[in-house]
Amino acid sequence: MRIKKNHSFPVSVLVAAFISALLLSLLCAMFYNMWKYETERITLEEGGWQSRIAGDFAPEEIEIIKSYATVKDAAVNEKEHAVDLYFDPMRAVLKDTPRIAGLVGRPMENVSYHHGLLAMYLIRDPEDPEPRLTFPFLLLIMVTASLSLIVIIHNAFAVSMYAKLHQIGIFSSVGATPGQIRLWLLREAAVLCAAPILAGNLLGIWMSRILLHMTNRLLGSAAPGQHESVFGYHPLVLALTLLVTVATVWISAWLPAGKLSRMTPLEAIKNTGELTLKRRNSPRVLAFLFGLEGELAGNALKAQRKALRMTSLSFICSFMAFTLMQCFFTMSGISTRETYFEKYLNVWDVMVTVKDEKIDSFEDTARIQELPGVKEAVVYQKAMAERMVAEDEISEEMRFLGGFAHAARSQVVKTDQGWLINAPIVILDDTSFLVYCEQTGAAPRLDGAIIRNQIRDVTSPDFRHPKYMPYIKDTDTVSLLRQAGNEEMTAEIPVLSYTAEVPALREEYASLDPYELVHFVPVSLWKEIKGQIGGIEKDIYICILGRENETLEALRVLQDEVAGLLGRTHALESENRIQEKETNDRQIQGMMAVFGGFCVLLALIGVGNVFSNTLGFVYQRKREFARYMSVGLTPKELGKMFCIEALVIAGRPVLITLPLAVAVVGYLLRLSYLEAEVFLAEAPFLPIVIFMLAIWGFVALAYYLGWRNVRKISLADALKDDTMM
Amino acid sequence: MEILRCEGVRKVYGSGGSQVTALNGIDLTVEKGEFTAIMGASGSGKSTLLHILGSVDQPTEGKVIIDGTDLSGLNQTQAAVFRRRKVGLVYQFYNLIPTLTVRKNICMPLALDKKKLNKEYFETIVGSLGIQDKLDALPGQLSGGQQQRVAIARSLIYRPALLLADEPTGNLDQKNSKEIMDMLKLSNRNLNQTILLITHDEKIALEADRMIIIEDGQIISDERRR
Repeated sequence: MRIKKNHSFPVSVLVAAFISALLLSLLCAMFYNMWKYETERITLEEGGWQSRIAGDFAPEEIEIIKSYATVKDAAVNEKEHAVDLYFDPMRAVLKDTPRIAGLVGRPMENVSYHHGLLAMYLIRDPEDPEPRLTFPFLLLIMVTASLSLIVIIHNAFAVSMYAKLHQIGIFSSVGATPGQIRLWLLREAAVLCAAPILAGNLLGIWMSRILLHMTNRLLGSAAPGQHESVFGYHPLVLALTLLVTVATVWISAWLPAGKLSRMTPLEAIKNTGELTLKRRNSPRVLAFLFGLEGELAGNALKAQRKALRMTSLSFICSFMAFTLMQCFFTMSGISTRETYFEKYLNVWDVMVTVKDEKIDSFEDTARIQELPGVKEAVVYQKAMAERMVAEDEISEEMRFLGGFAHAARSQVVKTDQGWLINAPIVILDDTSFLVYCEQTGAAPRLDGAIIRNQIRDVTSPDFRHPKYMPYIKDTDTVSLLRQAGNEEMTAEIPVLSYTAEVPALREEYASLDPYELVHFVPVSLWKEIKGQIGGIEKDIYICILGRENETLEALRVLQDEVAGLLGRTHALESENRIQEKETNDRQIQGMMAVFGGFCVLLALIGVGNVFSNTLGFVYQRKREFARYMSVGLTPKELGKMFCIEALVIAGRPVLITLPLAVAVVGYLLRLSYLEAEVFLAEAPFLPIVIFMLAIWGFVALAYYLGWRNVRKISLADALKDDTMM
Repeated sequence: MEILRCEGVRKVYGSGGSQVTALNGIDLTVEKGEFTAIMGASGSGKSTLLHILGSVDQPTEGKVIIDGTDLSGLNQTQAAVFRRRKVGLVYQFYNLIPTLTVRKNICMPLALDKKKLNKEYFETIVGSLGIQDKLDALPGQLSGGQQQRVAIARSLIYRPALLLADEPTGNLDQKNSKEIMDMLKLSNRNLNQTILLITHDEKIALEADRMIIIEDGQIISDERRR
């Protein structure tokens, strides 16, 4: 026996099954690749060992270990003075490592496990204090996604199955058991869904591959500390995906099938599946705005509330997430541009970090400064020192604002002699220091320091428009610096000038600790005092400004020249301004594409649901429309009713999101001290409007298709239906 | 004054070998203020005739003129407007809008035309139908008899040229059936409302002034009783 086909409903079921399979497959493939990436990262950074027994091992002992049944490999780790163990099956690691340690006579204290790696295979040591929730979190998302999809798509199956209710009632009346009815419905669902599930799965895998490729490209996998994620797919993942998809679709079909099969024949034959209101609650606003059609549309929406709940949720969440994401990235972009790219535009073009080098022994400064593409090049190193600021040294302006009263203990230490503050030292190459002397009007000497005598008004939280004032009185001609953490080691250096000006370097001063008193010294002076206060300096920085309007290509050439000059003798890291801006833009675009993609996927759930709903109108709302028409509602008025319904469904997310977005953006603007007009000039109106119009377009299309089907309803046929009440 | 005229009305469903002739040359006239019952067995074509008279369906051949309007030339919109203004339809299963209150159901034809309600007339109707205390209820909260009264009130609110009732008592018990018939007679007498009632129940048909019997899509008897 075969239940008569209804051509309009399977479309919604096909769409529901396809979208579910697509989403679940995409999630599974992405999660597998995230898991794979994390496992590879752990292996690269910490090694792929599963457990480790500390100590020196003789070759015979290694052989004993290797011959253990579950040990796949054992390798001597000379750096750690241990033997690294690899198991097959891996889950044997917790049980067998103590036994192996016992076998070679090592105490349990020598045994350690690679908890991070083991957790990725869901092998948890009860003694591991870390929660390590990556894998369980991914599983939880999968289960949540699956449950959400069941909630969403079961309606499509319900609509489809209710369309056959009359026939089912007849089957039931001639003796079909509930089990048989359920089986027919589920069998039909299975036949309908097989192809979309397969297609959705394949497309999901393909999309995850594209997404990973985009992530690699846009998020910059070449960045330091990141390795490139290579797409992978395991047959087990495919099996798991199919299992999850089939289970999701099956439960979604089983829920209405179960309910339907339990109906008595009379209930089934007479049940109209019509949406009704449980409570009288007139939609006043719609009635006021659109008259009777508005009231009918409002009531119809209320009656469909359950079926449309997921649509509303999906549209509201996706539109809100998209709007807030756009606003957030716009604000963040403005902030980065103002505080970084524009601020340092004429300060640097190429920045080179020479690893583990001391500036006093660096001999290539002149050669770098003489490179053809270099306009200016400053070679500098940063050192840390401390100095005392006595009560009478504090400037009048700072004293007026409370002196050090607002300082945290981590920034300033109160002593009997005054306040011990951090005094970072920036050691400049001699040539650059002399240029800096000229810039500040100080005597061009190489035996003294120039002090940045400026402090931010710490009582004002507006970090974007800080107010500065003199820090200390500019009367002292010497500054006594102490080695950081060791007050015994001091160096007294002459002060050439107190100034608010800083050299043209890509550096922030006193940003984390506003009480820092920065000293700029020439390398010649540093050579004399480093014995007293130096010692922990790490890298040298070379800040290069190229010629006017240099291109990316020219900057790359400059980078290559510097690398050619220093690369053989030093470990280098190099970046250039244009490249960094492009990378930054690409990363932001990448993040926006990924977040935007999730917003689109979220919206697609709502779109799918609204289509499944409107395509079910012919069955579900035939009687409702027949009643309207029998009383004299014209097709135009019925169309108006459809338009109002579509407007409410599509307009609600906008009405809810916009005030909230305005409030959130206002709050963020206040928090970031960004002027509203600056934000408004660059506000992402266009993408938000496009996203909104896309939702509106899909809702309009869904309702148009529903309307087209409804227009085919024969009023005479509908009125002949003896179940019309 | 003639309010309804049918001339050679034929209605054929299907095509080719599966053709079914539901109405076969119906000629009929009804005068204003007449209470006419059309009686026939199941499948005789009486409901098809009612749908054609109510501009719900179109005849295959022939002409139907109600209150001077030729129904054969109406498009969907004109037919809908005609239904709301010229005919009041009462169905066996009431066909009330379940999401609107009784008051709004009754006023719906007027609301669709954005016409003001004549309060006095409204109160006369709901008062004579005995539903004045149910106006704020939803149809689902009423009994079958009460729902049918609401349906009658709705069909009368526009003072239609013709009230078409399709088995209005078919879903009611004896007591409620009698009350509904009394109300139809009352509206016929007091409001001079022309009524065309379709039934398969001879007892109900005998309550009308005129009884037409239809069989196999043809009128076989037309008897004026009063």
